[in-house]
Amino acid sequence: MRTNPITPEERGKAFATQRKPEVLKKQNLDVRYHIEDFETNDRPGRFLEAFAAILKHSNYKMALDHFIRMSAKCGRCATTCQVYQATGDPKDIPCYRSELLLSVYRRHFTLGGMLKGRLLGSGYLTDEKIQEMAESFWNCTACRRCTLECPSGIDHALITHLGRYILSEIGIAPRALVVSTREQLEGATGNTSAIPVPALIDTLEFLEEDMLEEKNVEIKFPMDVENADYVFIPAVSDYLMEAETLMGIAAVFTATGDSWTTGTGYFDGINYGLFYSDRILERVVKKIDAETKRLKGKNVLIGECGHASRSAKYYLPTYCGGKDAFPVINIMEYTHKVWKEGKLKFDPNIVTEKVAYHDPCNIARQKWIIDQPRELLKAFCKNYVEMTPFGADNICCGGGGGTISIDEIRPYRTTIGGKLKADQIRRSGCNILIAPCANCKKQLRELVEDQKIDCEVMGLHDLIYKAIIFDDSLIVKKDVQPENIAEEK
Amino acid sequence: MDSLLEFARGPLFRFSIIIMILGLARLIALDLYSIFRAHQKAGDKSLPWGLIISRSIEWLFPVKRIAHNRPIYSIFSILFHIGLLLVPLFLFAHIQLWEKGIGFSWPALPYNWAYWLTISTIIFAVLLIIGRIFNKSSSFISRKQDFLWPVLLLIPFVTGFVCSHLNLSPSNYRLFMLIHILSGDMIFLLMPFTKIAHCVLMPLSQVICTLAWKFPADTDDKVCTTLNKKGAAV
Repeated sequence: MRTNPITPEERGKAFATQRKPEVLKKQNLDVRYHIEDFETNDRPGRFLEAFAAILKHSNYKMALDHFIRMSAKCGRCATTCQVYQATGDPKDIPCYRSELLLSVYRRHFTLGGMLKGRLLGSGYLTDEKIQEMAESFWNCTACRRCTLECPSGIDHALITHLGRYILSEIGIAPRALVVSTREQLEGATGNTSAIPVPALIDTLEFLEEDMLEEKNVEIKFPMDVENADYVFIPAVSDYLMEAETLMGIAAVFTATGDSWTTGTGYFDGINYGLFYSDRILERVVKKIDAETKRLKGKNVLIGECGHASRSAKYYLPTYCGGKDAFPVINIMEYTHKVWKEGKLKFDPNIVTEKVAYHDPCNIARQKWIIDQPRELLKAFCKNYVEMTPFGADNICCGGGGGTISIDEIRPYRTTIGGKLKADQIRRSGCNILIAPCANCKKQLRELVEDQKIDCEVMGLHDLIYKAIIFDDSLIVKKDVQPENIAEEK
Repeated sequence: MDSLLEFARGPLFRFSIIIMILGLARLIALDLYSIFRAHQKAGDKSLPWGLIISRSIEWLFPVKRIAHNRPIYSIFSILFHIGLLLVPLFLFAHIQLWEKGIGFSWPALPYNWAYWLTISTIIFAVLLIIGRIFNKSSSFISRKQDFLWPVLLLIPFVTGFVCSHLNLSPSNYRLFMLIHILSGDMIFLLMPFTKIAHCVLMPLSQVICTLAWKFPADTDDKVCTTLNKKGAAV
């Protein structure tokens, strides 16, 4: 899929920095995202130290060795990369971005590279190279689309992931992500949005009242229920921003009667570790495991969120017991399963608008969840349209890889990162765009706003909440207060 | 000249082939060992074999994904690779040499096929070089070896074609044949040490990429210890 690169004016706007000149000077690092103060002395030395430590305790060396031996530099990834397609700047070609780190590896960690470097006295890692990496690795949205198109099978996203991890070890990581993670792992509230438990309970009680009023059904958010089948862990920002998604999920559980619960000990699926540090990834995943154990739950149920689902699904087994780890499922898998079993009914006359579905990269790229939400939508949406390419080949919303949480780069995300997506949404002509991912939702809302596209972005369960039909037995009788129902029974 | 020719197709050829085989075998062995070690270290040992195998096959016979991404370049590249693989292995004259050298032979390509495959390989190699020079994104990411390899690969094809299809004087014939064999030897020698290693490493790419995402179980603790960051705040 091709697009015209952005104009110089758009470029100026997209790359405009909000950082103060004195901070840029002090940190000696010209990037667009805010960074907390960090040690600026001997960055190359510390970078190499961190690189060596990570290589020692990981499996990256295998991949790096393989890549430097066989990279053929065909340039096919360029055509796939939405960032390069928008900027037209060859420095945004995935293969070039990967080479930034591969060249450091080759020079400092392979015998041939070390000998050549010593003999020629060249190629030593410099501050300028670190500057280039710090900029380049955070231009990427980690969508992993280039990986599908590489004939040599090189996983550029893996290299970007590793590059960010090493940079974070020397203090170079977007402040937005670090501050949220600090609150999640070490703060009083234990979640990235800093929601205290009483506020969470208040919010959910308020939603319960709302749902009773709207649907005439007692829909509950069970809290701290032990031995539940599903321990529900959404992206915690949903509690602030995606009430309708949560209501839809609660409605589904009310209709099926399955046991589920939210734990007050830990309720945040967001895992920025997937975007910048394996160490953080491990710590967050272990919190999910601990809370599920505390509640004696049977399955971990992740809400509508791509990266939360991927980090739990793929890394709970890694860090918490391999085959014996709790099974992880995404809420769309659950809803699809119970719908197939005939436990859900939808009113096909409620949603008449043109609906399209956006695949979040983190759940679609590896062909995990692609068909289930589509089957659900087609079951009750009269006017479903498909955007191409879709599924495993989908185009990223432009806010992937943690970039959505970096507010200061919004112009970059909506003019460059999301350019191809904006074209795609316009072409589809949809009125409702379903994006079952907290990151995608936020990015797509900002994208349609900045690009002036007339389209509403929401989650899958927002729409399910509108269309769901409850069994008569669940409908609360008129003029009877819900408190009295139990007594009547 | 004759002794040089004999040296090129005798000892030098055998040496090149041995280096190529040992070098490529070493690369495969290193990769396989890394895969084994990584799998041992990984916290989650399950691998999606279905996806790995289907994606590996997809790229060994890369027809599925050519249409929507640089289609012309991709088609040129595929046709170039076909000639590049078939002609050296299945040309009648080469098979005779193989038989002399290693004692057994296999069916040869029909003469016409070999003729057209040689021509197509030369044409597509030239087109790929032109494409690399003039395509903005390709030329930007290219290293020296990316420009030199197609040129080096062209030499034996052109000289081989000249030798077998043009009426040359015996001395010219020997000269072209010498260049033909020397360039061939050089290709074999360089294969394990340059990007051409992809000829044997490519089938392992998908499993390596998948496995590389399977991290060891206790990275946090170990990396913290090594970097002296134990107990440090996030």
